[in-house]
Amino acid sequence: MKSHYEKSFDQHRTKKCPVYLLDQYGYVPIANKRIVTKSVIWPVENRFITADPQLYPTSTVWIVFSNEIVLSWLRANGVFLHEPKIASFFFGLKIPDIMSENGKHRILMVSDFFFPNFGGVENHIYYLSQCLIELGHKVVVMTHAYNNRSGVRYMTGGLKVYYVPWKPFLMQNTLPTFYGTLPIIRTILIREKISVVHGHQAFSTLCHEALMHARTMGYKVVFTDHSLYGFADVGSIHMNKVLQFTLADVTQAICVSHTSKENTVLRSGLPPEKVYVIPNAVDTAMFKPAPERLSNNEIVIVVISRLVYRKGADLLVEVIPEVCRLHPNVRFVIGGDGPKRVRLEEMREKHSLQDRVDMLGAVPHANVRSVLITGHIFLNSSLTEAFCIAILEAASCGLLTVSTCVGGVPEVLPDDMIVLAEPDPSDMVQAITKAINILPQIDPQTMHLRMKKLYSWHDVARRTETVYDRALRCSSQPLLERLSRYLTCGAWAGKLFCLVMLIDCMLWQFLQLWQPDRDVEVVPDATLTSFRPEEMSWDSETLR
Amino acid sequence: MGESSAAADAYENGRYKYIHDIHKGPPEAIDVHHIVLQRSSQKKLLIFCFLTLLLFASSPFFFFFLQQLNLLTTLPWSLLLGGLFVRLLSQKLVKKESVIILPAFGVQLETQYGSGRTIRRFVPINKILKPVLNECVTPVTCYWSLALIIRGEEELMLVFKELYPPVKMLVPIWKAVCAAIDVEET
Repeated sequence: MKSHYEKSFDQHRTKKCPVYLLDQYGYVPIANKRIVTKSVIWPVENRFITADPQLYPTSTVWIVFSNEIVLSWLRANGVFLHEPKIASFFFGLKIPDIMSENGKHRILMVSDFFFPNFGGVENHIYYLSQCLIELGHKVVVMTHAYNNRSGVRYMTGGLKVYYVPWKPFLMQNTLPTFYGTLPIIRTILIREKISVVHGHQAFSTLCHEALMHARTMGYKVVFTDHSLYGFADVGSIHMNKVLQFTLADVTQAICVSHTSKENTVLRSGLPPEKVYVIPNAVDTAMFKPAPERLSNNEIVIVVISRLVYRKGADLLVEVIPEVCRLHPNVRFVIGGDGPKRVRLEEMREKHSLQDRVDMLGAVPHANVRSVLITGHIFLNSSLTEAFCIAILEAASCGLLTVSTCVGGVPEVLPDDMIVLAEPDPSDMVQAITKAINILPQIDPQTMHLRMKKLYSWHDVARRTETVYDRALRCSSQPLLERLSRYLTCGAWAGKLFCLVMLIDCMLWQFLQLWQPDRDVEVVPDATLTSFRPEEMSWDSETLR
Repeated sequence: MGESSAAADAYENGRYKYIHDIHKGPPEAIDVHHIVLQRSSQKKLLIFCFLTLLLFASSPFFFFFLQQLNLLTTLPWSLLLGGLFVRLLSQKLVKKESVIILPAFGVQLETQYGSGRTIRRFVPINKILKPVLNECVTPVTCYWSLALIIRGEEELMLVFKELYPPVKMLVPIWKAVCAAIDVEET
């Protein structure tokens, strides 16, 4: 007479997946190898999660036991089970038991770059968080303190932001202390009951530290890379090594374009199957074209970018006088500030173009649309770009774009909305001429409607949600296997990374002794609609 | 005052103990909430003080061996310094913090130290705009605190200056102060 477990065992026997056992405490016994070779599969009592066999050839099934009968059957059949408490002390991983309830995740976004700064990464995090909240997930953002802005703030839709009082030291980055941020990150992860940690931007030290600590503590980790980086100079080499360390153990990675995916995979040695491509989007409701079409007597070319070397300000210095010479009815409007502004002013003086070139200085983000709708053509001269949101904003406002063909730019817009050129002044002048000729065929309203269909942040959020689902279905590995992944990073670097992670694990265990997990108070979920004290969930039942 | 119903609610946490008294007397019921630092915590702090005293007391021995100073003169001085240090610590050692809500009158905040010294602050009810539960973020941790928004002042007034009670103990106090203000406004 077969027991319930033996019957299910026969049913699942054909699936042939290796098994990791979790006992009712959620700890992973160290002796997985023995169980794996036996290919034993056990049905779960309350949680049964399978991984997609097509994605993960060595898929893993997580099973939770809460029955002594099952455990004793396994022991009787020679399956070696470790005592959970001893194993977990140094080698186990505690899996947070808040797996997705009804499919909704609790996400922590970490980056050095967030509001009140405005930029590509900042906007991406904000819009993505808002759309994820609309889909029903809970999102918390963690960043460093800006001037007086420190502590907990709430943004639209109940987005909670932790401005942790670590001062930035270089280009908006927190001081990298390796282990200094471990206590505060652990506290935030426990009190908000986070299930997925999502880090943004390879240049952000806070992101790397948070991902490292989250991995130590057993959380699932997703990383998004927003920029392209080189391979040759000293700064890039260091950054790539740090990236290799972080991405050696990341659960999933997201890049904003296929070019960016190639770049990230080459820099970090990550297997390409782990990287997803989810392009950025644009808020088409904010970037609407001008209500009346501009007359084509005088053609206005708009440039809005930071005036730095990377954004091709030097190219502009060559291109503008040439275009002004060739086309007498063309005017330029330049918005933005930076170190290269002086060169542009000099160029203006030298060629007496004061009435044909307007320098607006730094344009606040709220005014970008009003500057864009004064123009017919948008000029982007960047020397490197993973994905250019500025082009999307211009296209959404109905401008024809002329851009350098670098990085991920060719992937952004359809061919009839953009004219591409090599980053060479003469080539760019030719492209501008071509754009001026096709300008009468452009209808801003049609362009705007097309952009609305092509790009939306809700679509980005849905795709990111899929990535989170896949991430949470990945198996958790024991510490030894994770450490072996770090060894592949390099002869000396691999051993150094292993050492760093081991020290992190030990510090985490020490912190758990100093302040146990249950001492950290969990924040109750408060909805924004409840204003009166009685309606909020501050009941003794929920708190105890 | 009339009779007092003792310990309407008592809740312990290991480090802190929360006691809620309601004094029913003329003219109206007075709400008193105490947060007491537990004996075990106090004991730990006292042990720490004793060890510091020991350290101070043993320092002349080190000096004696290192620099051949006269033991008889340095020992009483170091004991005195240690004793002063312990006394200062016990003055900082908080035994109990209380919130007394006098309806239609105000809120009195008391801090009682180990040495018996008590500091009292009174806030009239019409000056309190709202009590708020804040999440305070430090470089290493994040904790809850209860503060009062005072009309006309930029800074929040902390209800518990020295102790860090858990949020479960802060919530009933917050609700009681909210209720007292609501009654006053209506």
